[in-house]
Amino acid sequence: MSSVDTEPPARKNKLSLRVRLRRDRSLLLMTVPAVALLLVFNYVPLFGLLTAFQDYNPLVGVWNSEWVGLAQFEALFGDSLFWGSLTNTLYLSFVQLILFFPIPIALALLLNSVLSERLRNLIQSIAYLPHFFSWVLAITIFQQMFGGAGLLNQFLRSNDISTWDIMTNPDTFVLLITSQAIWKEAGWSIIVFLAALAAINTDLYESSAVDGAGRWRRLWHITLPGMAGVIMLMLVLRLGNALTVGFEQFLIQRQAVGHEAADVLDTFAFYYGIATNNYSYGAAAGLFKSVISLLLIWGANKLAHAFGEDGLYRK
Amino acid sequence: MTETLTIERTRDERDVTGRTAVRKRRRGKRPVWEEPPTAAGQTAKGLTLGVVVAVVLVPLWIIVVTSLSTQAAVNRAGGLVIWPTDVTFEAYRVMLGDPTVRNALLVSLGITVVGTVVSLVVSVLCAYGLSRSGSVAHRFILVLLILTMFLSGGLIPTFLVVTELGGYGQYWALILPGAVSVFNILVLRAFYSDTSADLIEAARIDGAGDWRILWSIVLPTSRAVTAVVALFYGVGYWNSFFNVMLYMPTDSEKWPLQYVLLTYVNRGNGLPGSVNSGFGSQFAQTAPLSLQMAVVVLTIVPLLLVYPFMQKHFRVGVLTGAVKG
Amino acid sequence: MGIELNRRRFLSVTASVAGLAATGGLLSACGGGAQQKTGANSDALKSALPNYVPSSAIKADIPSVAGGPDILTDPGFLTYPSNPVTTVSGIPGKGGKYTTVTPLWGTIPSADNSFYQAMNEALGVTLEMKPADGNNYATIIPTMTAAKRLPDWIQLPSWWNANFNVGELAGSQLADLTPFLSGDKIKKYPNLAAIPTGAWQAGAWGDKIYGIPSFSSGFVFAGAVSFRHDLLEAKGITADQVKSADDLMNLGKELTDAKGGVWAFDDLWTYMFPAWGVPQKWKVDNGKLVHKYDMPELLEALEWHYNVATAGYLHPDAMAGNNADGNVRFYAGKTVIVGHGAGGWNASDHQSGTAANPNYRRAYFDFFTADGKGEPRIEIGASSRILSYLNSNLKPEQIEELLAVADYLAAPYGSAEYTLINFGVEGVHHTMVNGVPTATEEGKKNVQPQTFPFLASPASVISNPGSDVVTKDYTAWQAANVKHLKKPVFWNMNISLPRSMATADAAQAVEDAIKDCYHGKKKVSEVKDAITTWKSSGGGDKMVQWMDENVLQKFGTGQ
Repeated sequence: MSSVDTEPPARKNKLSLRVRLRRDRSLLLMTVPAVALLLVFNYVPLFGLLTAFQDYNPLVGVWNSEWVGLAQFEALFGDSLFWGSLTNTLYLSFVQLILFFPIPIALALLLNSVLSERLRNLIQSIAYLPHFFSWVLAITIFQQMFGGAGLLNQFLRSNDISTWDIMTNPDTFVLLITSQAIWKEAGWSIIVFLAALAAINTDLYESSAVDGAGRWRRLWHITLPGMAGVIMLMLVLRLGNALTVGFEQFLIQRQAVGHEAADVLDTFAFYYGIATNNYSYGAAAGLFKSVISLLLIWGANKLAHAFGEDGLYRK
Repeated sequence: MTETLTIERTRDERDVTGRTAVRKRRRGKRPVWEEPPTAAGQTAKGLTLGVVVAVVLVPLWIIVVTSLSTQAAVNRAGGLVIWPTDVTFEAYRVMLGDPTVRNALLVSLGITVVGTVVSLVVSVLCAYGLSRSGSVAHRFILVLLILTMFLSGGLIPTFLVVTELGGYGQYWALILPGAVSVFNILVLRAFYSDTSADLIEAARIDGAGDWRILWSIVLPTSRAVTAVVALFYGVGYWNSFFNVMLYMPTDSEKWPLQYVLLTYVNRGNGLPGSVNSGFGSQFAQTAPLSLQMAVVVLTIVPLLLVYPFMQKHFRVGVLTGAVKG
Repeated sequence: MGIELNRRRFLSVTASVAGLAATGGLLSACGGGAQQKTGANSDALKSALPNYVPSSAIKADIPSVAGGPDILTDPGFLTYPSNPVTTVSGIPGKGGKYTTVTPLWGTIPSADNSFYQAMNEALGVTLEMKPADGNNYATIIPTMTAAKRLPDWIQLPSWWNANFNVGELAGSQLADLTPFLSGDKIKKYPNLAAIPTGAWQAGAWGDKIYGIPSFSSGFVFAGAVSFRHDLLEAKGITADQVKSADDLMNLGKELTDAKGGVWAFDDLWTYMFPAWGVPQKWKVDNGKLVHKYDMPELLEALEWHYNVATAGYLHPDAMAGNNADGNVRFYAGKTVIVGHGAGGWNASDHQSGTAANPNYRRAYFDFFTADGKGEPRIEIGASSRILSYLNSNLKPEQIEELLAVADYLAAPYGSAEYTLINFGVEGVHHTMVNGVPTATEEGKKNVQPQTFPFLASPASVISNPGSDVVTKDYTAWQAANVKHLKKPVFWNMNISLPRSMATADAAQAVEDAIKDCYHGKKKVSEVKDAITTWKSSGGGDKMVQWMDENVLQKFGTGQ
């Protein structure tokens, strides 16, 4: 919360509330539309979390549904599909951390070493273009390239090599998901790291070079420490979001690879909440995810603090 | 707090230490102290960056070329066409003549324009309303806003609220529930708070109210960030499809382009009426590949149109948005 | 089940027979909470059901053969009746305007097309047809019911009854049709009266009638073990040589030539396990309800399938779980014996098969028992699984108007109405080629078998214009096997299982383990472990107990 409070010098606050209200009425009025929308579409639905402790029946509403205590959670923890989707989520998170996370850092270093600013900007603009694509579009493009009727198999077929459909293979789904994520988002993620690189004082490099430090030593002793803060921040964000691996990406591809490979916590809550008419069950799964996620954010911050970094919020 | 902190940090870095450093590097010349690159290193670097660019551009190229190909060319290639032979705009003619696609294009544009205006107005107002430190209740409202980034009732309760309000099958259900991005408000607010206090004080002495200050002082000085936020909203509306699945799955005349893309290209169902299915066989034939690719191109074109405009404002705006990821 | 209902499985439902879909027993086709309507087997219901008045309008070329009460083969038609008779006099509608929602697996016709217009004119109402993507139907409808925005007329396939909570919607959002149809009242709608009683029972909730059945049949079975008649014949093998699971295993060894790219089998399990006496889901033993997971026969059946897979007789793509190309493999002769869903033995199968190999001919083995002894017992499924419902907001006169429309839609095979509903207007949507209605371009665009027939349709027939061999083979096979068809426990009963037991009922984890087992990836002992888990922490035992107490003891078996 710290940054929110670091503000320009305050107006005088010693005036009476009435005077201040009069003075700031325009300002207050300006916040009304946003606050109203948030109240209606974010705060009112919070009551929906109550349904996790019910056997909620949408036909009779929240107040008339039966209260069942923790029964939904008991059922949830006895459901191997739930554990399957949790395992999938964590596994995907882990694989993305290993395969995805280092890529933008490496690309940022590489791009930063390009001397021509125009070339650098051009490459960057192209690399983060897919960030603005929808998942429908991104997956459609993958399908056209790697699907059963896609470019790759078209090539394999015309050369009489047996085809290989990665789009419907549950065993390699994790790699598919990760490569899609990398394709779509890695270019965008570069930006933060580039900013961090730009912020490193060049004098440090110069004096270090004068002292005889080579390319790799400078990378190790100046560049990486200079990026450490941002890397740690992104890592903490990633860990805190370990249970969020995407929703639409899985929703669209679930049918092709089957639920065993494609169900993550978010799609589990959707499919077993809405599509089996078991709203409370879905709500319980959602609440479970939220609580664990909050714990993860808190834990990740502790970790960051232990490394002497800020994390999301300062100590 | 997650994101705000980062905003402050990147801003700090940019303003305090960054600027000089960046300026030095931008000249495009190698610093004297840096050793000359090795040939192998240069090649590897070039190759890697070439791959990065190719991975994005090659699929787009193939899709565009295929969309411009005749059925004969598609048959010859056995699918996607890599190099244009006989170029035709037939697929685009068929596509734009198809009522479903035409409708979807209009719906998508409509939702994107209306949604972006609504979101932007609401966010700019709120951001300014919260940017004058010391104003009444601004801290409370901020906390109220920020809490929504961590607490969420989830999909189903939100759906039920929207339908209780009569949103099922209505366009507003695709816009209002997600109209406010607290993150974007915080981005705007951070910039608005930066606006020179002297300037504002001077205007105030001249008798300007907050509305006028926002309009004639704050907004003109923060055009870049406002444009970038508008872009984020616009892209969000243009790309959304899940809400359609929730609120109007059977109203095919109300579908936006993304849903049409999902249904007719990704799922290969073929465009309504334009393709053979009929009682002879239960299996519908999918639309011709060139037509499918034309639909894909159609969803990309608007993005490409705003892309250059966006680049202009990027130096300032994007840093803040990048974290949003 | 049913969430990932694919087109292949769907076809097995619609094409001619409403079959039990692959993984489903009857229970998965049940509604919501314990407090809701359950049963559909009471005396009150029996008196509420419509009387059956068979239609004599059109004579079949191959008449039905009865196999017991409510069990009947589908009649066969070799030619499309010339000079179609009219079964509905006048125009049924009175100019009302209604919206309808039906699932559609395929291309959605454009709104207000020439076929819809022709239909509306004939029906005397304006039906605003809104077909919705069948692959997403399972998630579309629950949002609609939660929003209380059901259309006037909607198709709710019964394999999704639990998902859609039909048990609870009946009476709250869906109209009770009992006052309009019970007993002799249905005679006002002769074509509806010609739908067998069992099909109406499949759409009953509590003691009342709600659903209007489509594609009803007296020969509803999940599927059977199918083979390439032409390929076996060439090797001098006849179907009657296979009388037991061992025989089939030996045949598998003989036919498999992995180096030559030929494997004896594609997936068999789904349609083969009944050979071991395993029911679709329930069995009653000494007055007590037993779930199939508690039966040792299930594990024996799995052991056999596991051995088939590990012996290398199962096509590798099938082992990898690729079902989408199953037909392609079969047509190409890369597999010879496959489990085949009911309804898939039809003209389009024959056309695709002969396109790949002119000699192509599909056939089914007669039902047999695993050990080759005793009488095979095949459970029939619900008499209809495609049921449409009317909105409870409709006024009585509107309901009557729509029932008259339904009566028109249920006109028998070969009638003038049937021709219009299924093939459109002659000269516009179809032309008669060799006595067979053949689609024109306009017809191919807009006449969809999954639109109006999904609101109401006559009882199923077997007819494959242009592929007489299929009609003859299939009707003969049905006639030879109809004696083995038996009613399962809870036949045609709509049971509302408490929501909290839905997961235990679906038993997805056990089903997944079973699938891995018949693909040779998991041992039978691992399935056993999965079942043990399901029984305890998965809530299986509780569910069985609930079913026993609340359904079996109260309403009986329904057999």
